[in-house]
Amino acid sequence: MRDAWRPDTMAIAGIGSTDFSKASGRSTLTLAAQAALAALADAGLDPKDVDGIVRCDMDTVAPVALGDALGVENLTYWGDVGPGGSAPAAMVAQAAAAVAAGLASTVVVFRSINGRSGERYGAGYAQGARAGGSSTYEEMFLPYGMQTPGQYFAMVARRHMADHGTTSETLGRIATACRKHANANPAAQMHHRTMTLDDYHASRALATPLRLFDFCLETDGACAVVVTSAERARDLRQPPALIRSAAQSGGADAQPGQMFPALMRDSITTWSSRALGEVLFRRGGMTPQDVDVAQIYDCFTITALIQLEDLGFCGAGEAKDFIQDGTLEVGGALPMNTSGGHLSEGYIHGMNHVVEAVRQIRGTSTNQVPGAEVSLVTSAPTTGGSALLLVGA
Amino acid sequence: MTEQRVLPLTTDHDTAPFWAAAAEERLVVQHCDDCDLPIHLPRGVCPRCHGERTSWREVRGAGRLHSWTVVEHQVHPGHPTPYTSVLVELEDLPSVRFLGSLPGRLDLEIDQPMTVRFERVGDTTLPQWEPVSS
Ligand SMILES: [Zn+2]
Repeated sequence: MRDAWRPDTMAIAGIGSTDFSKASGRSTLTLAAQAALAALADAGLDPKDVDGIVRCDMDTVAPVALGDALGVENLTYWGDVGPGGSAPAAMVAQAAAAVAAGLASTVVVFRSINGRSGERYGAGYAQGARAGGSSTYEEMFLPYGMQTPGQYFAMVARRHMADHGTTSETLGRIATACRKHANANPAAQMHHRTMTLDDYHASRALATPLRLFDFCLETDGACAVVVTSAERARDLRQPPALIRSAAQSGGADAQPGQMFPALMRDSITTWSSRALGEVLFRRGGMTPQDVDVAQIYDCFTITALIQLEDLGFCGAGEAKDFIQDGTLEVGGALPMNTSGGHLSEGYIHGMNHVVEAVRQIRGTSTNQVPGAEVSLVTSAPTTGGSALLLVGA
Repeated sequence: MTEQRVLPLTTDHDTAPFWAAAAEERLVVQHCDDCDLPIHLPRGVCPRCHGERTSWREVRGAGRLHSWTVVEHQVHPGHPTPYTSVLVELEDLPSVRFLGSLPGRLDLEIDQPMTVRFERVGDTTLPQWEPVSS
């Protein structure tokens, strides 16, 4: 089947973020409005001209509500993409599709979350005395103490270690690379806190083999981008980040429910990111070797490690050889999560990765990869993920 | 008052027969009557042949440890840490896996033999998995 995707016809023209904190002291609607206004100002666009808004299905701010907050004249397009962290790259793709179809011309894509002071995802899914039902299949997991994302990813990490000889040291290199990048990024929650490999190993176990520093941060904040046609973006204030490729993929053997049922996959140590990479690189006419810089969804260190294998930056089980000292830092084979990622910048559920991927194309990252021309960003891979390849105009 | 541990909803359309069998201390797996696929997780339409006729077959409660985690960070007051969650695949149907939970920090090995045990909590029975004692 021929792919009808048209590279470089759509673009990200504006980016915006709020501060990242443990307690924003304001509502998710206010955060969303601030990030969206920052993205529109960055693009040099009038907020009242926004005609489309796309969000993820876990956001508490409705698209029409954000439209009202921005004072838009008439919102003619909106959409929900899910689930949660797998959404951001797909949200950009949906906005691009809407512009391509003529359903909107100026689309704000956002994620707003009080992830520390409000709803904490690390608190677990168990609510009430009985778990499950309604096709969640949680009744097969929660009663057995499998209640949080960290516990799920711990199971995956243990199996990866057993199958491939992966060690905590490899996971620690991911954590310390992200931290090093955060130390150079004044906006990062961990900007002032350094981390050595020894610090990583000394952090307490939360769910073995994963420890505190394998877990991402919990963050209050919001990020937004503006999607429009490449043609229009060229006339706006910032150099456009063209969408060379966009992809979503569930892959085969996705399993029903969300996350925990992925423990029933034939292999629990590969995800939809394998099929995703094939679609993404085919549409872009590229290979992993063409990628200059990558923002890889890192709710946990192991999440990023498996994507590097699935996407083809190294073979299955080879991350332990691929990830050496410096591999993931600027100057290394694959500079990754150059803002600090979810592990050390903040957790805006995949959306801060999109913002940083655009900065790398503009040359404005605090950990800029010199001459970066191809910028990859991925969104959570477990039961269906998404990704973008961005390039300069 | 100590908080209760999380128990399964046992009345879901797709999983209720699993829990009903567990109450009789039987471990069962849904199978497609048309193409014989073990359907796990269970559901009303076979994902391979799209048949809607299924039956629940009793299986041997022998398994192998596919993975595990020792949970040290407590999130639910009814599940005190440390505890060990195990992911067990059936010896006879390796594509079928179940969760189990044991108190404390267990010293385990991938692929080690595991056996089912039925744990009664109030009016609910949970199939549990524990290492085969050597
Ligand atoms: Zn069938």
